[in-house]
Amino acid sequence: MNRLARSLCALAALLVSCESGGLDGPPNIDLEDPPERLSEMRLFTWDPGEGFVYNERVVPYELNTPLFSDYALKERAIYVPEGETIAYDAEGVFRFPVGSVIVKTFYFAPDMRQPEVDRELIETRVLIHTADGWEAWPYIWNEAQTDAILSPSGETRTLSFVDPQGEPREASYLVPQRNQCSSCHQRNVGEGGEAVLTPIGPAARHMEREYDYGDGPESQLGHLLELGMIGALPAFTPAAFDFRRIEADGVDAIPADELDFAARSYLDANCAHCHAPDGTAGVTSQLFLNHDNEDDFRLGVCKRPGSAGGGTFGRTYDIVPGDPENSILYLRVQTEEVGAMMPQLGRSLEHTAGSALLYRWIAEMEPVDCGPAMPPPGG
Amino acid sequence: MRNKTWILGLALAVWGCDGGEMPGFENVDCDDFDTANCVRVEGGDSQGLLDAVNTIDSDTTIVLGEGTFDLSNQVTIRGVNDINLVGQGIDVTVLAFTSATAQINGIDVVADNFLVQDLTVLDAPKDGIRVEDSDGVTYRRIKATWSEPGLMTNGAYGIYPVRSRNVLVEESIAERSSDAGLYVGQCINVIVRNNVVRENVAGLEIENTQYADVYDNLAENNTAGIVTFDLPGNPIVGRDVRLRDNMIINNNHPNFAPGGTVALIPPGTGTFALASRRVEITGNTYMNNKTGDIAILSGAVIEEPSVWELDTASLVGDWEDLGLLEGETPGTITNFRTENVVIANNTHEPSTERPEPHGDFGVLIAFLFTDRPSASVLYDALGETFSEDATMHTNNNHICVGGNTEGDFASLNVTAQLSMPGSPILLLDSSDFGPFGCDSIMGDPIQVPTDL
Repeated sequence: MNRLARSLCALAALLVSCESGGLDGPPNIDLEDPPERLSEMRLFTWDPGEGFVYNERVVPYELNTPLFSDYALKERAIYVPEGETIAYDAEGVFRFPVGSVIVKTFYFAPDMRQPEVDRELIETRVLIHTADGWEAWPYIWNEAQTDAILSPSGETRTLSFVDPQGEPREASYLVPQRNQCSSCHQRNVGEGGEAVLTPIGPAARHMEREYDYGDGPESQLGHLLELGMIGALPAFTPAAFDFRRIEADGVDAIPADELDFAARSYLDANCAHCHAPDGTAGVTSQLFLNHDNEDDFRLGVCKRPGSAGGGTFGRTYDIVPGDPENSILYLRVQTEEVGAMMPQLGRSLEHTAGSALLYRWIAEMEPVDCGPAMPPPGG
Repeated sequence: MRNKTWILGLALAVWGCDGGEMPGFENVDCDDFDTANCVRVEGGDSQGLLDAVNTIDSDTTIVLGEGTFDLSNQVTIRGVNDINLVGQGIDVTVLAFTSATAQINGIDVVADNFLVQDLTVLDAPKDGIRVEDSDGVTYRRIKATWSEPGLMTNGAYGIYPVRSRNVLVEESIAERSSDAGLYVGQCINVIVRNNVVRENVAGLEIENTQYADVYDNLAENNTAGIVTFDLPGNPIVGRDVRLRDNMIINNNHPNFAPGGTVALIPPGTGTFALASRRVEITGNTYMNNKTGDIAILSGAVIEEPSVWELDTASLVGDWEDLGLLEGETPGTITNFRTENVVIANNTHEPSTERPEPHGDFGVLIAFLFTDRPSASVLYDALGETFSEDATMHTNNNHICVGGNTEGDFASLNVTAQLSMPGSPILLLDSSDFGPFGCDSIMGDPIQVPTDL
């Protein structure tokens, strides 16, 4: 449904109940108490035929290299209140006005090679920008798929599907409890370095890409500008690597001179919410995987992990250039072993395309002798 | 007493509320705490527990009833302060993560003024009870354990306060972890007393921590008993750590760590101080630790000095009076050196078993001590001016063993051993500890909190 149709629908809703239902009025965001049912926020509706239908000033978007979450498909959207705008930031996450909402719905299809067929919505995560900062709320979709219910304690469920490569998979999928949101969304960026909750995705380098809003592909950021939802945009916006190229053509198709950019974009999206100088794991491990870290040692090259425990697989260094099989960073991203996997939360399965990218990245580095390796575990 | 919001189970309708004892809450109840709010969760009501922690306000006590809570996700507390999480007793209230498949901790907390008391955490996939970035943390009468001893797949840390201030751990039990049972990491102002740590790889660890008093603990049957160290790169430089009046016995457990630096620790290690300064190891009882009771080691044995450089602008806590070595990079200091350590009044009952040739250090000890037990105190001598010749040592690092009436001291002269294995070592006993006969800390006395 295009924007005009949506406007008509909203108008029609004043007179009679609209066919797509649920969007009879502008978004309704209670900054104090989140509603019991997601539909009460009037951000979007969903049904298997229509798909996602957004309200006024609720704009869907995609990311260049998204975070992997057990192959979950993700539908993202931003809402900014009438009369307010997002402030552009060249480096970090955009600054959102109070009252803004970022909403992300996780869904699966029985066969992920046909992701739009027989979709099952699992959960919708809602980030609300209150006067006191961002608040995170998890909603779980009901069995009838008619609405999602506020579920602060989350859920663990087993999901079976065929992955994009055609392999049968069984995920032990974790819907995070409310208090777990901070394990990814927390950065030590407040005054005096205290921890605050923050969005991750809506930054220039992640959002600078095209999206079809109904009139053919157009710039996502340009679309927000056109709607008056974002302030001025610079002439040039840096963009991260577009991971869909790997999904479409495989890792081997990446030209050698783009390999480092692709791998660093992947590490940035999947690891740097913790492994950065202002991230929790970054401080304790001193491993910095943010895209703008220029210190090879802190990137993991010939670096011994502080306390990787089972994650070392008996290896000594995070990255041994030229030797992915002896690089802890690759092994922890590749494994499905509890206690060894990275990231800590959000996956129970290997992202085969992602780990293949890191494998090739490390394999094609100029070999370096990092020094002696440690004896085998328990030896 | 202030008003209490009691969220109560169905049973209350039958049993009544104020003053009435409810089954499963006989030992501890809301009346025992003075918080503004109190939530009761009946034993076994796992959903109720997760709902409670994700919806509470600050200044709340959560009382858990008697029984076992089967949990597939961790108990997470965030965004609130002044929280008590209390059960009915060790092994009476059990949080069991045996069936959890996600990579989670048991209890995972960020909250100032947090108390966890009278419960057991069983089979946490990662850490048992982790409290991070919090000021005012008390662990009292809790147990963190795993069903099977000696498994590489057991979680990493049992009791784990990290990056926190004013931390008290007492009367608790930490056992069977595949890394450290009771691990105090990057904390400031710490008391650890009257705890039992057993069957862990490392029993009790104090890491990058300032002002810690560790006393009256029992460390038994771990790979290593009670240790203190800094890791490179951390902005808190460890200092003022006192390990006193502890029992450190039979720490000969096979090393079952799945990897990391801890996997290098030889079984039979009582205590080590690595990359540490201003440490007192006094009044402890060491018995039957086959590789050695106390080892004094430079951080340079695990990482090159350049890796230990710290930008002075990034440092947290007190460091300016420590006289730390400057790094090669301008504006940095390093903390790999171990210096200013006093070892006194300990008792030593050596093992009759051979040292374990595990890891570089274990291999060296087993190689050097073939016809007698390992020395009570082992010193790597890194940083000694005349490191090639042990008899010329002048004690540049101020390592003092003069307060010991029993046990002996060996300077292993590790630099020389690397170039010529089997180089002479300096072996001294209490009749004359030579340059190592000093018996007090340089500078002000060790400062630790008297109570918390």
